[in-house]
Amino acid sequence: MADTSVADRPVRIAPVPRTQRRRWRPKSPATYLIRLVVVVYLVLLVAWPVALVATNTFDGGLDSVREVLEDPDVMTALRLTALVAVCSVVINTVFGVGMSLLLVRYQFPGKRALSALIDLPLSVSPIVVGVSLVLVYGGRDGWFGPALESAGFQVIFATPGIVMATAFVALPLVIREVVPVLEEIGTEQEQAARSLGASSVQTFWRITLPAIKWAVVYGVVLSMARSLGEFGAVKVVSGNVLGETRTATLVVEEKYLNFDQQGAYAVAFLLAMVSVACIVIVAIIRPKEEKR
Amino acid sequence: MTTTTVASGRPAGKRSRRSTTPTNLTKASGLGLGVAMLWFSLLVLIPLCAVVITAAEGGWSNFWTTITNEQTFSAIRLTVTTAALVTLINVFMGTLIAWVLVRDRFPGKAALEVLIDIPFALPTIVAGLVLLSLYGTDSPLGIDVANQRSSVFLAFLFVTLPFVVRMVQPVLEELEKDVEDAAASLGASKFTTFRRIILPSLAPAIAAGAALSFARGVSEYGSLVLLSGNLPFQTEVVSVRILGSVENNNLAGAASVATVLLVISLAVIVTLDIIQRKVASRG
Amino acid sequence: MSIEVKGVSKRFGDFVALDDVNVSIPSGQLTALLGPSGGGKSTLLRIIAGLESADAGSIVIEGVESTNLPAQKRNVGFVFQHYAAFKHMSVAKNVAFGLEIRKRPKADVARRVEELLELVHLSQFAHRLPAQLSGGQRQRMALARALAVEPTVLLLDEPFGALDAKVRKELRDWLRRLHDEVHVTTVFVTHDQEEALEVSDEIVVINEGRVEQIGTPDQLYDEPANEFVMGFLGEVTVLDNVRLRPHDIEVMVAPGDPLSTPGTVKRLLRVGFEVRITVATAQGDVTVLLTRTNVRQLGLEVGQQVWLAPAAGAHTAPVPVAG
Repeated sequence: MADTSVADRPVRIAPVPRTQRRRWRPKSPATYLIRLVVVVYLVLLVAWPVALVATNTFDGGLDSVREVLEDPDVMTALRLTALVAVCSVVINTVFGVGMSLLLVRYQFPGKRALSALIDLPLSVSPIVVGVSLVLVYGGRDGWFGPALESAGFQVIFATPGIVMATAFVALPLVIREVVPVLEEIGTEQEQAARSLGASSVQTFWRITLPAIKWAVVYGVVLSMARSLGEFGAVKVVSGNVLGETRTATLVVEEKYLNFDQQGAYAVAFLLAMVSVACIVIVAIIRPKEEKR
Repeated sequence: MTTTTVASGRPAGKRSRRSTTPTNLTKASGLGLGVAMLWFSLLVLIPLCAVVITAAEGGWSNFWTTITNEQTFSAIRLTVTTAALVTLINVFMGTLIAWVLVRDRFPGKAALEVLIDIPFALPTIVAGLVLLSLYGTDSPLGIDVANQRSSVFLAFLFVTLPFVVRMVQPVLEELEKDVEDAAASLGASKFTTFRRIILPSLAPAIAAGAALSFARGVSEYGSLVLLSGNLPFQTEVVSVRILGSVENNNLAGAASVATVLLVISLAVIVTLDIIQRKVASRG
Repeated sequence: MSIEVKGVSKRFGDFVALDDVNVSIPSGQLTALLGPSGGGKSTLLRIIAGLESADAGSIVIEGVESTNLPAQKRNVGFVFQHYAAFKHMSVAKNVAFGLEIRKRPKADVARRVEELLELVHLSQFAHRLPAQLSGGQRQRMALARALAVEPTVLLLDEPFGALDAKVRKELRDWLRRLHDEVHVTTVFVTHDQEEALEVSDEIVVINEGRVEQIGTPDQLYDEPANEFVMGFLGEVTVLDNVRLRPHDIEVMVAPGDPLSTPGTVKRLLRVGFEVRITVATAQGDVTVLLTRTNVRQLGLEVGQQVWLAPAAGAHTAPVPVAG
């Protein structure tokens, strides 16, 4: 068989630089004007204020941050926030990936309504989220609360309630990332795996999951940022008990209202660092991934 | 060799469509759906229903009295009008920002991309603090909006920044430059091309972004806590008002006002769904 | 018989994809499922593979009742039109997939992958990702992947449909030679009658969910069972109330044969070595295919008077009465 000429030339996939792809056009004054307007707007609204938080934090050198980190109450709050965020991210990732598969790969009655309702947590006020959870799981006169409490399981004013509130507000983030990718990859690779003898579990772990890997990562990163920073919903359900149910965002409020501005800025700076880090991670991974 | 006229039509394009059609539930996936729905109901649906039911338990007149209470009504009016105004600005600025991010090229553009997402990722309480640092009492610019009505406007503007931008950006990226070139070759000016060709393609994305931005604005709470002072009749928004009722142990009152917010959220969700269907049918 | 399809029906909503289909596909041969797009041939192939379930009927593969067997237990190799390459795995990993699922020893897997990549001429690309291959190379990788598990039957769904004309032709020849080497029972779906005639041992013509005819390429071409098969396998023209192939018509420049039909040359269209001639007769236009040499010999020109008759040995069929 001497047909190596068939098509053995590899396809060249040299990425075309953006500058070459589009014809060069002389820039009009309007372009510069629009650019100026956008840059000034974003600097005034976002960049400058965020930068000021950083400088305000370090007004007194590193002392304020160190002081805050040595405060046992703050450390407890940070630990609680981390625990709650991890729980909510794990729940939302498992739920989100499963729900995305169901919404994209299967047909069932009520699917359209469900896929619309999934987005609801994004547009519900965090205070309403908190109120709704209290109405159902409140220990005194919630729908399920008293029964759960007599079984020894306290939800509201305890960690489970904080986890639920956080999971609620971050619920759609993984799904919104994964669904479009699942739709795009189609089912052929999965069918090929099945015809090669893979079970549905093997197909999921070896084919589907690697294909949606990055979407899941984005979803997790965004959920993480959202979960660490949840404030309103947590405020309603937590009871804000010092050293027990007070999360990091509640500490910021408490410190600021008690005229401990340095402390407030320090904790805020820590939280902002984590969420900005999340955003930067996404910004770095995403373009790399899209090139593939 | 002959070639037929029958088969030389389009190559089978039907199959690929069929293979992406969702299948019916299997036993395992049915179980999965059951578990997922149970969790979704316990976490989201039942609690939200509880809000509406609690509000309804008091009867219509009670509900009406609660939401037309002078202080509550003033909070609703402030929230809705500010959110609407901010949405209007976002429609304009968001589209402009998306345009610059997609079509313009200059050093530092990548940093702008990151800036857009910061309001989404930043804890809202921190967002309030961030805004206070430039627009608070110690403002280096000499602008102090703390405890003013304009602080609500500023906070909404900050937290809703990403929505229109992030909806419009991908659509603008996919927009074929050919179409614009075609319009130009037919004699359309740059402005005409934008108005007649580009804007109609962006309209659904702008509308969707606007809906999300309005919903986010109406439901905002965290960023206002430190910034607005929560002064009744002055800077108190709906969410703060609801929290006030909760803290006074008036859950029924809180549920009534929360229902108003829920209705707005639902309206936004329905709007989004309709926009998405329209776009999908356009192909 | 290797694959027995009995009474298989399948609907998608209101659309009847397959209507009581019965086919027996012989062992060790290369069989084509031929028909127009949307005629149900791909659906039949997917039902054989277990990727789709039939509403009624049964499938037996090499004596094993497979109607209710899931895809992963049928031991069929399936090749997709759009390759279905596992994008995150190297070429070698793609080929090894089925073997790893079957938990074969590592050394065996490596050896088998090497053999197969050799067979499909992709040895030097073993560590590339599918995205770095051309369409033809990706399809050969998919073929190697399907063959790796030593399938009972190899099923190919429009395997060359997404490739450009030249590569398609080369791969088609190559598939034929590969089959002669490997001898696995192979079924492939195509809507291209030329591909089916050239490559396969046997052709099953499927249209509107029904089997129109089963036979060797020669049988189908020379003795089409009905109008549809005749029309689908090659061009048909009508001469003197008889349907026949345009290249089965003899052209004379002088009256002689009393049974010949007189006409006038309306148009001459040269396509490579062939010339398509449109002749206006009393019963309407007739298409005739001649070689360029023939046309020169006869000295045909537009407006010239000619006489047409079916060539000796041509397959002809009466024109069905309308209504």
